[in-house]
Amino acid sequence: MSLLESLRFSKGDSPIHRMDPRVKFLMTMVIFALSIMFFDLIPLLAVFILQIPLILYAKIWREWLKTLKGGAFLAVIIFTTNLLSFYFFRGMHLSGENVEFSLSLTLRFLSLITSFSLFFLTTSPDKLSLALEKAKIPYEFNFAFITAIRFVPVLADEAQTIMDAQRSRGLELDKGGFLSRIRKYIPILLPLIVNSIRRSLELAEAMESRAFGATKNRTNLYELKMAPSDYFALVITLGALAFALYVRLFLPPLPKLMSGLLFL
Amino acid sequence: MGKIDVEGLCYSYPNVADQALTDINLKIEPGEFILLTGPSGCGKTTFCRCLNGLIPHFYNGEMKGDLKIDGISTREHPTYELAKHVGLIFQNPDNQIFSLTVEKDIAFGLENLGESREKMRGEIDWAMNQVGIVPLKERGTHELSGGQKQRLTIASILAMHPGIIVMDEPTAFLDPVGAEKIFEVLQTLNREHGITILLIEHRMDLAVKYCGRIIVFDKGRIVNDGTPREIFTSDETRLIGIGIPRMVELGRRLSQRGYNIGIPLNSDEAFTKLTPFLKKSVTTNTKQGLPELDEIVGEYTHTPIIELQDVTYSYSSGIDALLGVSLTINKGEFVAVMGENGAGKTTLVKHFNGLLRPKSGNVVVDGKDVSKNSVASMARKVGLVFQNPDDQFFAEDVEEELSFALRNFGYEETVINERVEWALNLLDLQRYKKSSPFILSGGERKRVALASILAWNPDILVLDEPTVGQDHGQKERLKHFLMQLRTQGKTVVIVTHDVEFVAESQPRVVLMSKGRVIADGTAKKIMTDARSLGACSVAPPEVTKLFSKLTLYSLPIDVLDVDEALDLLTRKLRRDNP
Repeated sequence: MSLLESLRFSKGDSPIHRMDPRVKFLMTMVIFALSIMFFDLIPLLAVFILQIPLILYAKIWREWLKTLKGGAFLAVIIFTTNLLSFYFFRGMHLSGENVEFSLSLTLRFLSLITSFSLFFLTTSPDKLSLALEKAKIPYEFNFAFITAIRFVPVLADEAQTIMDAQRSRGLELDKGGFLSRIRKYIPILLPLIVNSIRRSLELAEAMESRAFGATKNRTNLYELKMAPSDYFALVITLGALAFALYVRLFLPPLPKLMSGLLFL
Repeated sequence: MGKIDVEGLCYSYPNVADQALTDINLKIEPGEFILLTGPSGCGKTTFCRCLNGLIPHFYNGEMKGDLKIDGISTREHPTYELAKHVGLIFQNPDNQIFSLTVEKDIAFGLENLGESREKMRGEIDWAMNQVGIVPLKERGTHELSGGQKQRLTIASILAMHPGIIVMDEPTAFLDPVGAEKIFEVLQTLNREHGITILLIEHRMDLAVKYCGRIIVFDKGRIVNDGTPREIFTSDETRLIGIGIPRMVELGRRLSQRGYNIGIPLNSDEAFTKLTPFLKKSVTTNTKQGLPELDEIVGEYTHTPIIELQDVTYSYSSGIDALLGVSLTINKGEFVAVMGENGAGKTTLVKHFNGLLRPKSGNVVVDGKDVSKNSVASMARKVGLVFQNPDDQFFAEDVEEELSFALRNFGYEETVINERVEWALNLLDLQRYKKSSPFILSGGERKRVALASILAWNPDILVLDEPTVGQDHGQKERLKHFLMQLRTQGKTVVIVTHDVEFVAESQPRVVLMSKGRVIADGTAKKIMTDARSLGACSVAPPEVTKLFSKLTLYSLPIDVLDVDEALDLLTRKLRRDNP
């Protein structure tokens, strides 16, 4: 939950925030591609570390640390399951390469969530919607996406109120066995669902009243314009992709850092 | 622009046997300011839905007759075309704001209509200017206050330049001053731009100052239609039980006693109509009114039951909601907590049963420290009734809903049945015992929610905004019910914006502003203290407004309700006009 929570856009102003969302999206995708292209520690470490200046530049390091904290549990699981599977399936011993590989996979995960938080934390949903619109995604999907984001805090508030109302009627969520605890969430989920249905009806009424669907040629208050800095970022991003492809395809395999070491 | 013609309009919702609207005939001219009223479920909201074609296009169902907006039939034209003529604004602003920033939300309708960017910029600036939210242009919509959100929804509709604006209880969630600001915005739009305004509103005392015509609905029909004076002097109105503004009531009763001052609609009018009959006098204001309410009901025991000491609380979002609140409530007291939106009222009462625990300071209820006891154990003492009953309903029928808490508290089955029966009878819900709580009307749902708390007979009852969305009759019943609880020795705390409700039930009033208690005392003392009220966006009751103007006539200031006002004025009139 906190992992998702930390991906929420909060208003800020930095060159990263102002970047064209399309270029930023491409950048995120390239980081994504680089992270899954390599299995070695050195390039993955490089990808991870290269993102840190961007995080600092966008002044979102506090939120980023929250994301990492939220992802820490998963990271530990990735690391240990890999180690354990090496240990048990490779004849009860663990080589340095095995550890390095597990570490790489964990780092890959951290790289991925870093790139996502870099994108989502610095891109306002309004701009994102605009980018989707430019990408010719039908407006209905686009609208559903924005509405979902808009209502996350509203629904969270409502869930809290419902929980308070039921606790005031003596509901104790943290008492009883596993099954009875699950059953105790019914008095919370049911009002939440019923209210959401009611709310969606009201939303639909309000949409109609604001001429939703009046014309196929819907306009947008904002427009996207590539600034010189966006072209610069675009060139760097594509350059990085080209360089990585060259390393991956045309150079001999990268050296392992921990080869030769024997752990268990 | 702004003309409405209705001929023989009938409508029934799909799968509902009863007609929601029956034979509505109506002509509305451009530039009128109209109040739609009537008891809950009378068809006024349904009528609003007809105006921009939500009925029949969105709701289906069976519609007969004709409704024309500026000569355009709503049956033949889709809602998005009608949106340029009629703007509909609903009660809950949260469900009408689609975007994440203010300017983008105002643009939403214009974008849908395919307007150019330059035109949109112009319209947005104009609309923001009209409702006074220019400084909020680039703000996130989720950080706005309730009043700001409601003004945003008006701006968003206004940007599309409709000739008619229809609002369904726009001020239900706002503090009195916030509500008045909304009315002022509407008045400007009406006067300066000739926009026709149709409004559903239960705050009659406030609404009557602005509207020029009132249409009364009952059981799906129009039963009365005319100027406020015509409406409030006809007897049919009384029978339907819509609220009569306090000043009108005062005027009527004075004329029954032989002092014909006409039908004043607000305190200013009452003042100008009264003064010719009154003699100025410099003698000091000696109190000659009715005895204090406490003298009648009997003094409370002065045993503290809720004690707060220097309580602070801040939410995880970093908002400081309480900044050192100290408060003692005695056993058997009746207390109203008032204050502006966001003053910390709800946060305060959530401390009474431990839903929230103070960051610093102490909350002791009935001798128990809430920080050291579970919510469930505190809840047995303190029944907290939330504002929106829909936030708690989940059971199949009302009986089940009422027994939920009793089961949680571990009562035996025979006791549960007994308690449920008792609560059903207490709130006149016996006939709904086996109905689903979801299908009941708004007022009935509120009663079920209240009954579900009263079922375990807590000593302290806390009600958050009990009068919101309630019509006049329902408020009267609630008032009597609270009186009844008081005579049983229950401690009752209400959180409310409803000034007139407080003026008539006269509880002890605790005024809160920005996380602090800024005044505390009898209703008489606090509700007549204009400065303290102003500091937390609460307006004094109409009767008090009138008497604060009459100080030069040797009349007391601290008068809250019509009965007392009537008594004082009759005596004064008798003296001055022998």
